[in-house]
Amino acid sequence: MLSAALLTFAFLAVVSLVAGFLGSLTGLGGGTFLVPIYTLFLGIPIEYAAGASLISTIATSSGAGSAYVRDRITNVRIGMSLEIATTTGSIVGSLTAAWIYSHGLQRIIYIMFGIVLLGSIYTQITRSKYELPEPKPPDKWTRWLQLYGKYYDQALGREVDYWGVRWWLGELIMFFAGLISGLLGIGSGALKVLGMDWAMNLPMKVSTTTSNFMIGVTAATGSSIYWFFGYIQPFFAAATAVGVLAGSLIGTKVLVRIKNVTIRYIFMAILAILGVQMILRGLGIWAPR
Amino acid sequence: MELEDIIGWTLRIGVIISIALILLGLVFLIVKPPEYHIFRLLSSPTSPINSSALPPLQSLTGIYQLNGIDVILLGLMVLIATPVIRVLMGIYNLLGRGIIYM
Repeated sequence: MLSAALLTFAFLAVVSLVAGFLGSLTGLGGGTFLVPIYTLFLGIPIEYAAGASLISTIATSSGAGSAYVRDRITNVRIGMSLEIATTTGSIVGSLTAAWIYSHGLQRIIYIMFGIVLLGSIYTQITRSKYELPEPKPPDKWTRWLQLYGKYYDQALGREVDYWGVRWWLGELIMFFAGLISGLLGIGSGALKVLGMDWAMNLPMKVSTTTSNFMIGVTAATGSSIYWFFGYIQPFFAAATAVGVLAGSLIGTKVLVRIKNVTIRYIFMAILAILGVQMILRGLGIWAPR
Repeated sequence: MELEDIIGWTLRIGVIISIALILLGLVFLIVKPPEYHIFRLLSSPTSPINSSALPPLQSLTGIYQLNGIDVILLGLMVLIATPVIRVLMGIYNLLGRGIIYM
């Protein structure tokens, strides 16, 4: 029995490693792939899958993200100012999830997850068309909150000065990013990037690394609420955290070398398949298990 | 050290401690395995063993008995606490310098 339990742990860790790897390459985070695989193919209840996933995003954010903080690419100041909204959203989202689960309405979560998966295909199409945004004039938020920053861009080989605008819009999008994170147990990094890249007009590298930085405290908030309601199964969560962290660390190493367009089409196909399956599961039409 | 360095190291050290505790808990599970039925419940997909059945304080006392599950739980608690500590350090630092967004 001991070996069977350890085999389960190892198996979940390997599955999580693959999910973390895919999540890192697509920039969507491990949870996006992990929750569908756990629920659709391994028969793990969605509460436990979301709980394990949410915990694992803390490991990815803190483990893989710390290097960007020390390299001064992450904007700690802008990140902390937006965390007010992401954590508030996460509280609302995870309490809503708890209400949904306690009423046996799990299918709502499946359907919403499917929609988010299909929506993230769009982020794969539009991703990184440009590295630096067209500068917009600083507004009153820029000056009031001192949203200025600079980082050294290795690809461009120079120091980039930038500033954030429309902080209120960023804050609003961050609330929804936190809401989705708490509701579905994912990092929802794509939405966070949208809030900084599109709304606040920040450079892509600053947006992605600062988003990753914020995921940690957002997920920690949601995880605490999940913990209270009993959605954290220690054995699954531990295996997932170890696996996703390892996968994402490998992913960041490979990422710099992959310049293949066809790989992105494969990712989109995987997202489409998982998204449709989650929706079908939610509608009770078809379940692979 | 600047704020970025403090935060960067806090995050990294927190994750390392957490992963080390999880792996240590796994070793304890092998060295001092719990009863047969608990193991069965632990790895079943619809396991009834979850965070609401295991209060944090109870698992802290379980660590002295080298209880593997409790050590794993402590690892997960450290993981959740890591970004929270990071935020507290950031706030402390900003307050200390007197520049809170004004």
